[in-house]
Amino acid sequence: MSISQSDVRHVALLARLALTDEQVASLQTELNSILGHIDELQGLDLADVQPTAHALEVTNSTRPDAVKPCLPRELALLNAPEAEGGAFVIPAFGETGEDA
Amino acid sequence: MIDLSALSATDIRDGITAKRFSAREVAAAAFAHIDALEPAIHAFNQLTPELAAQAADRIDAMAAAGEELPPLAGVPAGIKDNMNLVGTRTTCSAKILANYESVYDCTAVRRLLDAGALPVGKCNLDEFAFGSSTENSAFGPTRNPWDIERVPGGSSGGSAACVAVGMVTVSLGSDTGGSIRQPGALTGTVAMKPTYGRVSRYGCVAFASSLDQIGPFAHNVRDAALVLNTIAGKDEMDATSVTESVPDFTATLSDGVKGLRVGIVRDMLELEGLAPEVKASVEAAAERYAALGAEVDDVEIPAARHGLSAYYIIGPAEASSNLARFDGIRYGHRVDDAIDVLDLYMRSRAEGFGPESIRRIMLGTYALSAGYYDAYYGQAQKARTLIIEDFAKAFERYDVLLTPTSPEVAFKIGEKSTDPLAMYLSDVFTIPLNLAGLPGISVPCGLSEGLPIGLQVIGRHFDEATMLRAAAALEADLTLDMTPALAKGGLDG
Amino acid sequence: MAKDRLAEVLERYEAVIGLEIHTELTSLKSKMFCGCPVEFGGEPNTRVCPVCLGLPGALPVPNEAAVEATVLAGLAVNCDIALWSQFHRKQYFYPDMPKDYQISQYDLPFCSGGYLDVEVDGADEYTTHIGVTRIHLEEDTGKMVHVGGAEGRIAGAEKSFVDFNRAGTPLMELVSEPDIRTPEEARRFAQKLRLIMLALGVSDCSMEEGSMRVDGNISIRLHGETELGTKSEVKNMNSFKALHDALAYEIVRQADLVDAGGRVVQETRHWDAGAKRTSTLRSKEEAHDYRYFPEPDMVPFAFTEEWVESIAERLPELPDAMCERFMTTWELPKHGATVLTSDLAMAVFFETTVAEAGEARAKSVANVMLNDFSAHLNADGVAVDESLVKPSMVAELVGLVDDGAISSKQAKEVFSAMAETGEMPAVIVEARGMKQVSDIVAIEAVVDAVIAASPNEVASYRGGKVGLIGWFVGQVMREMRGQGNPQVVNEVLRKKLG
Ligand SMILES: [Mg+2]
Ligand SMILES: [Zn+2]
Repeated sequence: MSISQSDVRHVALLARLALTDEQVASLQTELNSILGHIDELQGLDLADVQPTAHALEVTNSTRPDAVKPCLPRELALLNAPEAEGGAFVIPAFGETGEDA
Repeated sequence: MIDLSALSATDIRDGITAKRFSAREVAAAAFAHIDALEPAIHAFNQLTPELAAQAADRIDAMAAAGEELPPLAGVPAGIKDNMNLVGTRTTCSAKILANYESVYDCTAVRRLLDAGALPVGKCNLDEFAFGSSTENSAFGPTRNPWDIERVPGGSSGGSAACVAVGMVTVSLGSDTGGSIRQPGALTGTVAMKPTYGRVSRYGCVAFASSLDQIGPFAHNVRDAALVLNTIAGKDEMDATSVTESVPDFTATLSDGVKGLRVGIVRDMLELEGLAPEVKASVEAAAERYAALGAEVDDVEIPAARHGLSAYYIIGPAEASSNLARFDGIRYGHRVDDAIDVLDLYMRSRAEGFGPESIRRIMLGTYALSAGYYDAYYGQAQKARTLIIEDFAKAFERYDVLLTPTSPEVAFKIGEKSTDPLAMYLSDVFTIPLNLAGLPGISVPCGLSEGLPIGLQVIGRHFDEATMLRAAAALEADLTLDMTPALAKGGLDG
Repeated sequence: MAKDRLAEVLERYEAVIGLEIHTELTSLKSKMFCGCPVEFGGEPNTRVCPVCLGLPGALPVPNEAAVEATVLAGLAVNCDIALWSQFHRKQYFYPDMPKDYQISQYDLPFCSGGYLDVEVDGADEYTTHIGVTRIHLEEDTGKMVHVGGAEGRIAGAEKSFVDFNRAGTPLMELVSEPDIRTPEEARRFAQKLRLIMLALGVSDCSMEEGSMRVDGNISIRLHGETELGTKSEVKNMNSFKALHDALAYEIVRQADLVDAGGRVVQETRHWDAGAKRTSTLRSKEEAHDYRYFPEPDMVPFAFTEEWVESIAERLPELPDAMCERFMTTWELPKHGATVLTSDLAMAVFFETTVAEAGEARAKSVANVMLNDFSAHLNADGVAVDESLVKPSMVAELVGLVDDGAISSKQAKEVFSAMAETGEMPAVIVEARGMKQVSDIVAIEAVVDAVIAASPNEVASYRGGKVGLIGWFVGQVMREMRGQGNPQVVNEVLRKKLG
């Protein structure tokens, strides 16, 4: 598979990265060369191989339903680029609308 | 002034206990050494003399009160700058986090400091640990103490360099594809990645969650084992940390390798791009093991040849997700003239991330995007299964496995920075362990034209003890002097 | 929009409705992946920590009680419980989502393949079988306040304030099959699900506070058509009435659109309860690319049959079963049993009262609760446990009537007094001198006096005008200021008039 410049722009939007035309061009080249190497995997017949998400066979790692101390609000907001009245402040919405 | 390069972690603790010197004096010696060498090396993004002094005072108070000192009492330690520590910035060597102040502690760091270590500073790395040379740092590269025209490896290059040159006695790094072991090899330090889940990842800024693991750098295997003792063990804040019991990893270090079944991974040694002097040095090490009474034989891990491909899908895929949170909303770089939220995201991230971060985010986002998941991520996860199975087979017949840590010795700054693929090949021997969750340690096994070579010793899951014993046996047998000239005689040493 | 308009549309078109119901597990102490408390509201960003703020390096650890609650809910709506399941990351950027991905479940949810049978009464009462595709567990988002825009809507806002107190609250998402055909079925389904969640005690299910949020997917097609039409998704239905009205509006809107030769576009629409209309929230023309992949910060869940059994043993009696039991055990009519079990507090009140009054008086207790008690709750706008009326009072009241101490007419007066003052019925009866006279001797004396005083009436009664008995009763009762026991008075009169 090889990546077109419009693929690069689409992926950049998904990843929320404003790329310059130069970046789009060089990324197209670089991603294609990396994927060119990776494509050797496509050659493997792994039809009946189970995928591995976690190297170790550990299951059911949970915590009991217990309350722990929260962060003091000063610390929660310590690194906030903009805060007001205890809340993080963001600019107007464009059509970014999505939700849970 | 104390000569730290001559002292192991245990020497320092015993010296303070015996009142031969104080923790304060140890800290002073470390910072004097740093003042002299840091300008040439740039191992640190931030030095923390106040935190070190506070920690030293606690130790000296304990000593004065005649209390028993903790295992790493007074030991100067470097901390990779992707681990949170209150009172420091945690920048990941990235512009997007350049001013980020930690509001909580990384579990492994907390444990290291609770064991008495002195936090000397936050060590430079490739931005977000993406790299094998520490050139991808928003704050400039770290230089290799053995030749400051060369890279120290990466991504934990700062953690490796500060130990190699003796600014600190031990340090913590993180290893996703070789980021501890490869710089360990290139700087002549002992560097280990524990079994996945052995050490909590809580507080270490995630690169690839299913591969990341924190581990130590040290001058010798014993100090590395001591550090592992303190940082290992279940953490309720990390669901992937395991409850496996933690032995005293120093207990069996001197038991030798008589009868130990050692497999040298032959097909990896046939890999093109492996420097002949490295290959020769590794084979010589294998012979030493035989000479020391181990049963040495060849073994093959055929699937390992797919490691690099699988890794460059799984790593970036997880990274692209883990780095989404750097969006300029709650913390980190934000453009001040955004017209709306989308514009804020797009430009803050494009400005805040360096080229390699953008490359990996793009690669990972693409690999997970609609229509490509099965071809890339799915296939990579299956290749990962094959690698796990091949190692499992090998460990039915062998107690430890040997490979080179890095295909070559330290390379020149700038040599590979324009060719991502060439850079990625630096981790060809280390990556398969991360994919399989196995522990690995790089131990110095020789020098080539004044540059260190590292041997990678691989152990079974949670059998770091045997792996460390094998590494210690070779270390004791070779008695290499791994102190760079720079550390001995200053810049023109 | 007029009901008959909907009826007319539904004659020509079949509505196909599926619901997505998000329920916050408000009964839990801590959030989904961290130890911050689960509460509503509060000062912004005061219930947050590195984990639910998505700070660099923080890691999520799943709350076992949330997993158990979800499995319990799954069992309650007849789902199969997966013995192998795991969390996935659902990826998209949004300012109220700290990590810019939501930890949710994808192809391996905890629960799938369930159903609910929903009764729809009215003219033609029927029961409809509605499939539950799946129930999965995820984390809730934070909240945003948009300033400068129209009533807190995103559109036109100058800037927004983000509060992460709600971020990471355990959120259970139920997805129904598109088996729903009318707004009324949708309302009944949601109401029944709410009753079940309340019975399980996993959530307070407050649609106002948003701890229960219902979204609808609606499309229409001609009757007999098997292909699905283009659907629209409706959000912001903050009450069961809103759910019904929004779906009804949307069905008619789509029908009008199609009738006019237009086509329905796939989009998300926002219900405006004030304006009673839906409007476009955003177009979903370009589908999202969520890039789901297994959450690498967590390990999978492997359940054993035994473990699932142990959760099933925690299942309380569910509304349907309780209604059945009320009908059989207490011989109550279906309607009465349904009302009494449609509110857990009501059902508990009833059973406590019966326990005190004695099972023989269950029917009388039910009557008082369905009439006087319900009326009082509605009139005074109080909840069962807020009312001054307690089970012991109703039990005593029912006893007084059954023993003939007071008439059922008097009982009504006593009840309203109880509801006002919270005094025990006996006390009220005593204070108001309402005790009913059943003492034969006393009554005979009055009857004799009346008979003696009314020779003509006695003559005509004995002459065959037996209808006069009512007049005699009236005289006696007047003499006794209404406190004579009517039955006794009647008997004595008939005997003496012979
Ligand atoms: Mg959802
Ligand atoms: Zn929290």
